[in-house]
Amino acid sequence: MKVGRLIGACALGFFFFLFVAIDLVLFGVIPLNSVLVTLLPLIGLLLVAVIGVVSSRGGGAAPAEQPPAPPAPAA
Amino acid sequence: MGALVFGTANTASAQIDGECSASGAWQDNGLKVDAQTVGDDVITIPRTDTVNWEGSVSSPPGEYSGSIWLELPPPFGKLKIDDWSGNGDSTSNSGSKEYDIPKLVPAGVEFEVAGEHFADNGDCTGYVKLVIDGGLFDSFVSIIFFVLTALFGVLFALVVWKMLVNAGFFARSAL
Repeated sequence: MKVGRLIGACALGFFFFLFVAIDLVLFGVIPLNSVLVTLLPLIGLLLVAVIGVVSSRGGGAAPAEQPPAPPAPAA
Repeated sequence: MGALVFGTANTASAQIDGECSASGAWQDNGLKVDAQTVGDDVITIPRTDTVNWEGSVSSPPGEYSGSIWLELPPPFGKLKIDDWSGNGDSTSNSGSKEYDIPKLVPAGVEFEVAGEHFADNGDCTGYVKLVIDGGLFDSFVSIIFFVLTALFGVLFALVVWKMLVNAGFFARSAL
């Protein structure tokens, strides 16, 4: 995975988890001054970073589809 | 706003340390909050009202100062609401404060307002947990954040799914 795409994906993870944290505050699940409001976006960022790194390492691991074998010559 | 901090109640919820007392009474709502009635429940306050507040210290304060603030998530610290300072012998004070919290501030959010008062004869600190009365969708801010969460949730799911497929967790043909 290219670095630019990884950074973009990390930003996406950061903002998604930030909005989840804000929703939890809006629903009254956690108070405004909860440390989770700070931690969740960072967790999102790190989560995507880890998945991205694992993804880039295993990117070529998936076996390519083999072309169909040529038909056997008629006897 | 000081009354909000040291504001005893139907559902008392305030914590105060030191030789101080404080209370508040909401004129329209009828809510009463006494900081000496220690509790950790959350007080639901109306969006608009007038609070009759009073506070006192055990002995003449001499030189004094204090402030109240809104507690923000770490590491953002505090958002100051009001402060005061002076020099005097009076051991009590009271007043009325009319407030109107803008619609922009969502209802149902639990926030903590804290305060401190320093004087020559002793210091006090306290906090109260508050929630603005009202529905979840009273503020358009809530709706905006729900939409953003849904939008970013879909994008997040797609990106992570693609990453996991690339990592070989799922068959490529599943796409």
